[in-house]
Amino acid sequence: MLAGTESVLEVRQVSVSLGERARVAGLDVCIGAGELVALRGPSGAGKSSLLRVVAGLDDPRAGELRCRGRSPKETGWPQWRRRVLLCAQRAAALPGSVRDNLAHAFAYACASGAFPEARARELVARLKLASGVWGQTAETLSEGELQRVALLRALLLEPDVFLLDEPTSALDPDATRAVEELLREVAGEGGCALIVTHDPAQAERWCDRSVDVSIGDRS
Amino acid sequence: MTETIAGALPLGPAQLALAALLVVLAGAISMALQLGLERRLGIAAFRSVVQLLLVGYVLRYVFELESVTAVLGVALLMVATASRESVRRATRGVRGVSFDAFLTLLASSLLTTVLVTSVVVQVDPWYQPQYLVPLLGMALGNGLTGLSLCLDHLLESLDTRRAVIELELTLGATRWEAARAPLSAAVKRGIIPIVNSMSVAGVVSLPGMMTGQILAGADPVEAVKYQVVVMFLIAGATSLGCTLLAVLVFRRLFNDRHQLRWERIAR
Repeated sequence: MLAGTESVLEVRQVSVSLGERARVAGLDVCIGAGELVALRGPSGAGKSSLLRVVAGLDDPRAGELRCRGRSPKETGWPQWRRRVLLCAQRAAALPGSVRDNLAHAFAYACASGAFPEARARELVARLKLASGVWGQTAETLSEGELQRVALLRALLLEPDVFLLDEPTSALDPDATRAVEELLREVAGEGGCALIVTHDPAQAERWCDRSVDVSIGDRS
Repeated sequence: MTETIAGALPLGPAQLALAALLVVLAGAISMALQLGLERRLGIAAFRSVVQLLLVGYVLRYVFELESVTAVLGVALLMVATASRESVRRATRGVRGVSFDAFLTLLASSLLTTVLVTSVVVQVDPWYQPQYLVPLLGMALGNGLTGLSLCLDHLLESLDTRRAVIELELTLGATRWEAARAPLSAAVKRGIIPIVNSMSVAGVVSLPGMMTGQILAGADPVEAVKYQVVVMFLIAGATSLGCTLLAVLVFRRLFNDRHQLRWERIAR
C-alpha cells in the first residue's frame, strides 16, 4: 500500500485451494484508497480463485478479509459483496434488456438508493457502447459489449473495492482506454481496485503497483 | 355417501389370462416393428402382477388387523418407496436429497391424506385402511411425479445457470433473491401436471379412482364427489410437497454465507 493512504481492503494470510490442490498460500495484500493494484502470476496460479474468495463467493482455506476494518461476518455477506464487487472474467447476462441488467441490483434488500438512470446513460456513452444498446436484450450482446455492461453495472453500485478479472480481455484498444480512464477517475475519487491482467504493459500503464499472487505485499 | 349397489363382477384366473393376451399383442407388435421391447414388456407385466398380488394380500391382512400401527407401517413404507422413486427419476442428485424427499412426502402427502380422512370424509377411526391407504396411494403417486419434476428442474437450473446466480450474489443478492427464479420455476414445473389433469378431468379422461368406484357399482355422482376430494387432495399435497422439497434442496445448496455450493450437485 502507498505510504499515507487509508487502508480499504486487507487480505491477511489468505490461502486458497481448488479441490485438493493449494493455489495461494498465506497471502497478504493491503490496498489503500485511490490505488489500482495489478495481480500477477502465471496461468493457474490462483488469481481468479483468489478474487472469488475475496468477493466471498468461495471460502478461503485460511486467512482473514477486511474492508474498511470490517470482516464479511460483521458487514453481512450480501453487503460485503456489494462493497467488494467482483466483475468475473466471463461476464454473464441477467434476463431482460441492458437497462434491466443495470437496474436489477437496485431492487435487492441491501440496496440503499434508486437506480441512477442519467448516470447510467452517461456511462454507456463513455464506455463506447452504442446508444441503441440500452433497450437491447442483454443475452444478445457481444462478449465485449457484455464485458462493458458488467463494468458499468459495477460502477453504478459504487463499491469500495473493484475486483476486476481480465476486464478488458474482449475489448478493442479504444474501449480499453475508455475503461482505464474511467477506473482512474474512480481511483481519483478514493475508490480502489485489484485487477487481474495478463498484459504486463497494461499493468504498467494502468496500475499504481502490482503484486505477485504467490508472494503478495512482501514482493 | 350412499352404499355401493353391488361389487364388481369377480375375476377368475382364466379371465386374467385372457387379459394377458393383450400384453402378448403388445409383444407381437414390438417384435414385428423390431422395437426390442418384448423382454422389458414381459418383465414389467410379470412384475406388475406379482407386486399387485402381494399388495392385495398385504392390504387384506392389514384391513383385517384394523391396527393403527399396521396402517401407519404400510403408510410409511409407501412414503419411503415413493420418495426413493421420486429421487431416482431425476437426472441430477444431491447428497441427502432422498431424506428430504422422504420428509417432504411424509409432511405433504401423509398429513394431507390424514386431514382428508379425518376432517373431510370424517372416517371413524381416521386410520381406517379402506380409506387411508388408497387415498394416500393417490396422493403419493401424483406427488412423486410432481416432486421428481420439481427436483429435476431445480437442479438443472442451478447447475446450468450457475453464472447468472453467482452474478446476482456478487451484486449483493441474498441467497433467496439469487435463487428466487429457479425456485419458483421448479415449484411451478412440479404443480403443472395436476393443474392440467384437473382442467381436463372428466372431459378427456375419467380419473382412476372414479373409474374404480363406478366399476365396483357405486353411483357415478357419488364417485365424482370422491374424485373431486381426491383431486383437491393431490393438488394440495403436490403443491406443498414441491415447495417443501425446493426449500430443503435450496438449503443444501446455499450455505449461510450466501454461497452456491454447486459442486454438491451430482450429474
